[in-house]
Amino acid sequence: MCGHCGCGETDEHVHADGTRHSHPHDHHHTHDHATTLVELQTRVLAKNDTLAARNRAWFAGREILAVNLVSSPGAGKTTLLERTIRDLRGQYEIGVLEGDQATSLDGDRIRAAGAPAVQVNTGTGCHLEADMVMRGLGELRPPPRSIVLIENVGNLVCPAMFDLGERAKVVILSVTEGEDKPNKYPHMFRAASLMLISKLDLLPHVEFDVDRVTAAAREVNPALGVLCVSARTGEGMTQWYDWLRREWTAASEAAFA
Amino acid sequence: MHELSLTHEIVAIVCNAAQQRRVHAVTVEIGHLSCATPEAIAFCFEVVAKGTSAEGARLEFRRIDGDDLLVRTMEVEEAA
Repeated sequence: MCGHCGCGETDEHVHADGTRHSHPHDHHHTHDHATTLVELQTRVLAKNDTLAARNRAWFAGREILAVNLVSSPGAGKTTLLERTIRDLRGQYEIGVLEGDQATSLDGDRIRAAGAPAVQVNTGTGCHLEADMVMRGLGELRPPPRSIVLIENVGNLVCPAMFDLGERAKVVILSVTEGEDKPNKYPHMFRAASLMLISKLDLLPHVEFDVDRVTAAAREVNPALGVLCVSARTGEGMTQWYDWLRREWTAASEAAFA
Repeated sequence: MHELSLTHEIVAIVCNAAQQRRVHAVTVEIGHLSCATPEAIAFCFEVVAKGTSAEGARLEFRRIDGDDLLVRTMEVEEAA
């Protein structure tokens, strides 16, 4: 007889009120069972990192430069991309993966600017993951030696953790945001290679000290590159294109290194 | 809330290794520089683990240096 609930080996038992019946003894008495400690030592992001490595190899094999653009909502990522696509037309083939929780509004804007775009809706997700990028690439089918710009979901927290297989993360910070963003969201500024300070044309109207923000960002990431741009007036955009050109060249050289 | 996808991964790692055995406890190591919050993972765990072999498992966190996030150990019922 089971010492925990009184049910017998034969499955038949008598209850306190005298009823006698049987049922299979399939319920657990887990407190009674010995347990084993199992060492797992597994990185939680191991699967994402494996898929990101696969994306990275896919890009390398095609000499494609992939850039992951991150920012808070409204920093001007899409406007920056529109201008970049228009200005670099004829020089590079650019394809865009658009991450958003819902709608195809950004994808529509990119296509109107003249580049193929695939909208990757993350639903409730607050960031893109490597497998979403893989699926997006299957649809976008970017040609060899092109540039793939991945516009991540507007969020300065989660996208820092998820490698997509990009060559570099670029964090965009607009002058209308707080100067303390690099201190408040250090992970993102640490993960990025370049910080683009955007909406430079609005600088005279806001309290935003470029030097102070640059210093704050380099406190968490001394190697961070910094450029100031205005997608509206075009100021500073040449330096951004120079950066893209250098990375594009480096990406194609790295493919055979 | 990225902790939801992180928790899905944690439960997948645990259930895969448990191979149907009941999981009693899971220890997760969170780096000080990792941007994952233990409270948020614990909140998601209850929901995500429901209906899996990790349902009802005790979740413990250990702080470590660096930015890693690891499923360190689990306690499972011994195979019958």
